[in-house]
Amino acid sequence: MKEDLKPLLDNLLNDSSFRNWATKSNKNDMAFWNSWINKNPRDIETIYAVKDIILGISFKKKTIEEERVNEKLGMVLKHINGKTGAENQIVKKNIGWSVKGIAAIAVIGLAFLVLTLGVFNTSDVMVHKTAFGETMSLTLPDGTSVVLNGNSEIRYDKDTPRDVVLKGEAYFKVKPKHTTDAKFWVNTQDLRVEVYGTQFHVNTRDEKTKVLLDEGSIKLLLNNGASKKMEPGELVSYSDGNDTVLHEKVDTTLKYALWREGTFTFNNINLKEMMKYIEHTYGLPSEFLDKSAETKILTGGIPSGNLEICLMAVQKATGTRIVQKDNTLLIFNK
Amino acid sequence: MDITPEKSIWYFFVKGDLNAFSALFKGYYSVLYDYGLKISGNVALTEDCLQDFFIYLYDNKQNFGEVNNIRSYLFVSFRRAVFKKLKKERVFLDYDEAIENRAKFDFSPEEIAIKQELTTMKRTVLTELLNSLSVREKETVFLRYYSGLTPNQISTVMGISYQSVLNTLQKAFVKLRKASESEAIFSILNA
Repeated sequence: MKEDLKPLLDNLLNDSSFRNWATKSNKNDMAFWNSWINKNPRDIETIYAVKDIILGISFKKKTIEEERVNEKLGMVLKHINGKTGAENQIVKKNIGWSVKGIAAIAVIGLAFLVLTLGVFNTSDVMVHKTAFGETMSLTLPDGTSVVLNGNSEIRYDKDTPRDVVLKGEAYFKVKPKHTTDAKFWVNTQDLRVEVYGTQFHVNTRDEKTKVLLDEGSIKLLLNNGASKKMEPGELVSYSDGNDTVLHEKVDTTLKYALWREGTFTFNNINLKEMMKYIEHTYGLPSEFLDKSAETKILTGGIPSGNLEICLMAVQKATGTRIVQKDNTLLIFNK
Repeated sequence: MDITPEKSIWYFFVKGDLNAFSALFKGYYSVLYDYGLKISGNVALTEDCLQDFFIYLYDNKQNFGEVNNIRSYLFVSFRRAVFKKLKKERVFLDYDEAIENRAKFDFSPEEIAIKQELTTMKRTVLTELLNSLSVREKETVFLRYYSGLTPNQISTVMGISYQSVLNTLQKAFVKLRKASESEAIFSILNA
C-alpha cells in the first residue's frame, strides 16, 4: 500500500495541473482535481502531502547588499590578478625581455581592473550590463531609451547622463531637448556619436564600431580626428585600429547584419558571419562540419532574445542543420 | 536544445573570461553565503570560505569542462568546502562529528515571511516548529524554499536519492501539520 503511494506523490508533484489546484490558480484544474479527490479518498494523505510540498514555507531572503558583493568581488579579482602578474614575472626571468609583450598585457589588464574597481567604488558612475543571451531595456534619466543586446555594457556619469560609453551593442532612441538643444553623446573605442534627437543603432564588436541611423541626423567624431554627418538609412563602419571608414546607404544590395529593437536584421551576409554574430550575443561558438555551408547567403529579420527560434529560422533559410554539442554549435548541410 | 545564459557564462568562465567570472560571482555570492552561514553559524568562516572557494574555481577553471547543472555543482562543492573548513577549525573532531556539531540549521522568526500560503500560524510558532525538525529535514527545507533548488538539485547537493528528498520533505510537513493541529487545539483550549 505504502509502496503504491510513492509514485503518486512523484507524479502529482510534477503535474502542472495539480500545481494549479494546490495554488488555486486555474479554475478548470481546481474543478478537475476536486472531483478526482472525491473519487480517490484513499489518497487524501498523499494529496495533502504534495500540496504542502508545493506551497512550502515562504522565507524572507536576507541577501547581502550589492555593494558588499562588489567589494568582495574586487578582493577576489585583485587576488587573481596579483597571481597572474607573479606568474608573468617568473616567465620574464627565464626568457628575458622577449616577454615584454606579456608584461604589457598584464599592465593593461591591471589598468582595466583598477578602472573597473574605480567604478565599483564611485557611486557617481552608473553601469548597466547584460549577460550573454540577455537583453535589457533602459530609460536614462533624461528620458532617452536604450535597448542593450547580450554581452554589452553602457556606463555614464550621474552628472552627465547624456554622455554615455558603450561596449557591445545597443539601440538608442534619444529624447530631444528642444528647450536647450542639449546634445547626446555615445562614446565607443573608435568614435564619438553626436546626437540631437534620433533613433540609431551602435555595435562595437569585432574591433570596429558600426552605426546605423534610422531617423533624424547625427554626427560622428572619429578617433582619427575626422567627422562625418549621417543621413537616415546610412551605415558607417569605422575601426580605429586600421583607420578604415565605410560610409554606405543601406539598400537591398548592401551587406550588413544588425540587431535593432529585439530583431536581428541582416542583408546579404553569409552564414559564417551570422554565426559569429550569434557567438557574440549568446556566447556559443560555431563549427562548420560542411565548409560549403559557410558561404550560404541570408537576408531578412528574425526575433532575437530566443536562441532556439533564431537557430530554427537560420536552419530553414539556409537548408542546414545546427546541433549543439558541448557548448559549440555544429553546422552541416541537410 | 537547452542553452541557458548561465551555460554561456560558464563556457566563457572556463575559457578564462573575467567578466563571465564576475557574473558568476555576483549571481551566486549571496545564495552561497546564506547557505554557508546556516551550515557553519559563523560569519567570518563563511566569508573566508567563500572567497577561497571562488579563487579555487578560477584557478581550476580548465578542469571543469562541461558541468550539467551549474547550480547544484556550486552548492555541493561549496558545501564540501565549508565542512572541510569546519573540520580544520575543530581538529579534534572527525568529519562526521563536524557535521553533527555544526550549527543546527536553525531559523529565526525574522527569516520567515509574514504571508504564508501553507498556514496561518504565527511566525514565532512556525519558527519553533521548523526548528524542532531534524537537521536533515531543516537543510532540505532550506535548500528547497530558501535557496530555490529543485528536488533533483537537492539530491545532488546532499548526496541522497531523489526519492529520499521527497520523503524527507513529506516527513517534515507531516510533522509540521501534526504540530500545528495540536497547537490549534491548544490555543482553543486556552482561549
